[in-house]
Amino acid sequence: MALPNQQTVEYPSFKLVIVGDGGTGKTTFVKRHLTGEFEKKYEPTIGVEVHPLDFFTNCGKIRFYCWDTAGQEKFGGLRDDTSNIHGQCAIIMFDVTARLTYKNVPTWHRDLCRVCENIPIVLCGNKVDVKNRQVKAKQVTFHRKKNLQYYEISAKSNYNFEKPFLYLARKLAGDPNLHFVESPALAPPEVQIDLAAQQQHEAELAAAASQPLPDDDDEAFD
Amino acid sequence: MATTTEPTTLRREEEEEEEEDSKPSAEDEDTGAQVAPIVKLQEVAVTTGEENEDVLLDFIANVKFLSSVGNQSCTDLTRKLTNGRRGELGLKLLKHKESGKVRLVMRQSKTLKICANHLVLPTMMVQEHQGNDKSCVWHAADFADGELKEETFCIRFASVENCKAFKDKIEEITESEANDSGENQEATAAASLIEKLSVEGDKPEAKEAPLSSEEKRMTMRNWKNLPIRRIKAFAVLVWLFWLTRVEAWVIQVSTSLKFQDDGCLGAASGVGAQRVYEQRLSIRIQVGVRENRPEI
Repeated sequence: MALPNQQTVEYPSFKLVIVGDGGTGKTTFVKRHLTGEFEKKYEPTIGVEVHPLDFFTNCGKIRFYCWDTAGQEKFGGLRDDTSNIHGQCAIIMFDVTARLTYKNVPTWHRDLCRVCENIPIVLCGNKVDVKNRQVKAKQVTFHRKKNLQYYEISAKSNYNFEKPFLYLARKLAGDPNLHFVESPALAPPEVQIDLAAQQQHEAELAAAASQPLPDDDDEAFD
Repeated sequence: MATTTEPTTLRREEEEEEEEDSKPSAEDEDTGAQVAPIVKLQEVAVTTGEENEDVLLDFIANVKFLSSVGNQSCTDLTRKLTNGRRGELGLKLLKHKESGKVRLVMRQSKTLKICANHLVLPTMMVQEHQGNDKSCVWHAADFADGELKEETFCIRFASVENCKAFKDKIEEITESEANDSGENQEATAAASLIEKLSVEGDKPEAKEAPLSSEEKRMTMRNWKNLPIRRIKAFAVLVWLFWLTRVEAWVIQVSTSLKFQDDGCLGAASGVGAQRVYEQRLSIRIQVGVRENRPEI
């Protein structure tokens, strides 16, 4: 648990373990929350990556240390209990466009329960923005058997992307009314722009204005 | 780690069930296991950091993507534009009640986290994206992460109207800010002009004083300002000189008067000049009567 980027904070923090098959979108989901970016390129996670993720709630600031684990067996981490130890909450992710990833969910769940007893777990069906999905919402029944919470999400369209964290935060604090609040927007300091910088900005602006935009085809999934 | 007793947890679960039921979406149904909370959190006062500001513009922008590209190469830029934020963003323009500074704050509508937080400076320009009237780009030193970063923003709105509304509002603000600073400049310019004028104004007064005492050196300009009464007095003086038979001198004065008069009449055909001319005529007539010899 002692990782260099896991500095302790004075507000409540939780270890969140994210597991699931390779390519289901675990890293993309975490990145979406971290920087707002949606990474299309697939780069398999090796071992485990830990990202601190802060949320502002009506009960103060909380932090999830997201243990983004490798989904692919060859990249290790899989079935390695060490990364799951002391997990206080978990997300199991599968891809609704790949049936096999859903079929592996019980295995992931079993591995989790081996080391983490009685922790709140959210099952996430990712990529629901894709038109021809293979796993329909009605076919997802595993969460009912094992008492998990289920959310259909899309890291691409941000559909329900805050729900897993909100659910886990409510469970961990035992407060069903906990909700996200506006994070304090500090007053930005004064900036002095010199002429050279201004010209550079204008050049960048012109470059951005003429940069082709992605197609309008991917409608937001809401 | 505080654990609560089982009944409390159960009661909370029931409450949650009720709350979840009241929501329209059936997806929010809680199928999760009942687990004991591991922390006890107290409700805290929420500060948005926007308490001392008036809201100028507040709308939920259905944003296709928002990218802050920073100082990056074109390939990075394309990647960033493709991978940008999506979904709903709350976009606000806030004006500080005391300093009057306007800033732009954008939040992710679900997590309420800040995506953009920067001042709207008079130099800020929102450009329409070429070939896409729903999108616009601008540059700012952003403070969303608590440190200043030079960023180029690109945002695509759901509709052309929203994009236009946003652009117009920003333009309005930057213009009024520019005018404010422009007015200040004008005010200082006017003040310095007044100062200059008063300094210049002193000079003619200082010049006039010796001139009025020595009427013979009257310039054309002074003729206009010269009171008729003073010319009459001058005529009387000439008359007196004539009485003492300093004829040559009188004629000389008369001639010089004529020259000046001609210039005066040529330059300005005002009433003052007319009067001066008449005055000169009367002197000439007086001279002529005495000498019986019309001169010039």
